[in-house]
Amino acid sequence: MASFTPNLEPAPDTSLQFKPKKPRITLQTPSSCPSNQRTQIIKRWRTQRDQHIYSSKLFQALRRSRRTSASREVHETADRVLAGLAKGTTRWSRAILNARKVTKHKKAKLPTNNRLRKPDIYRERRKTPAVERKLKVLGRLVPGCRKLSFSNLIEETSDYIAALEMQVRAMTAITEFLCGGTGGGPLPPADRLPSNVNS
Amino acid sequence: MSGRRSGSAVSSISDDQITHLVFKLQQLIPELCARRSHKASSSKVLQETCDYIRNLHKEIEDLSDRLSQLLASIDTDNDQAAIVRSLLM
Repeated sequence: MASFTPNLEPAPDTSLQFKPKKPRITLQTPSSCPSNQRTQIIKRWRTQRDQHIYSSKLFQALRRSRRTSASREVHETADRVLAGLAKGTTRWSRAILNARKVTKHKKAKLPTNNRLRKPDIYRERRKTPAVERKLKVLGRLVPGCRKLSFSNLIEETSDYIAALEMQVRAMTAITEFLCGGTGGGPLPPADRLPSNVNS
Repeated sequence: MSGRRSGSAVSSISDDQITHLVFKLQQLIPELCARRSHKASSSKVLQETCDYIRNLHKEIEDLSDRLSQLLASIDTDNDQAAIVRSLLM
């Protein structure tokens, strides 16, 4: 399955964001923010170490859970471990962890929001309606970020994107690892056994 | 935050801040990063962001699908290995 975003390979490439060998590089950060804290935040999901931690935690979680035959379960486990790694510092991670507790009640659309939407006309009028719409869509894509202000939403989005990219890298690595292990797996026992072993 | 400003007509965020944040977001999206035409429009950046997140979700979906199949086959292997072991001992 060819990935359309080639810079998600584990090997370091020319993209300036992914430098897995050097954990804490100073990027050109906005001067208005405390630079040290900022670089740590920016580098948060991109280090090799973070990816290893996530991979091992995910692998352990998958091995522990016996119900991994459904891809939905695997997906939720992966999301849960990812959100757990964030340690509650981001809204989307808290939303993922809380969503599992509430068990699907959050899926219902709350109609009461429309009444609170009236002040929208007075707020943030400088953005065009197209941008407003896209912001809403973005808010729906990132978990737990439907009613955030613009700057917070962008913050959450950047963190979420970085985390998702790491998730893809880690899951790809685990898949390749398991593939290599089981590529010759099913065949030898079947060959050795004279009797028919049904899989 | 993004809540109850019933009376005020001015948002607390300036235009400059908006463009700056959008630019920051633009740097995260690989498609927009490659052809850095200094500043893509906010609408385009947001659109690309949404598409990118959706694509990432889809990739993760596919990966977890594949992982679940692999894990199922591993469990099968373990069963077969257990049978083999019990037969040999």
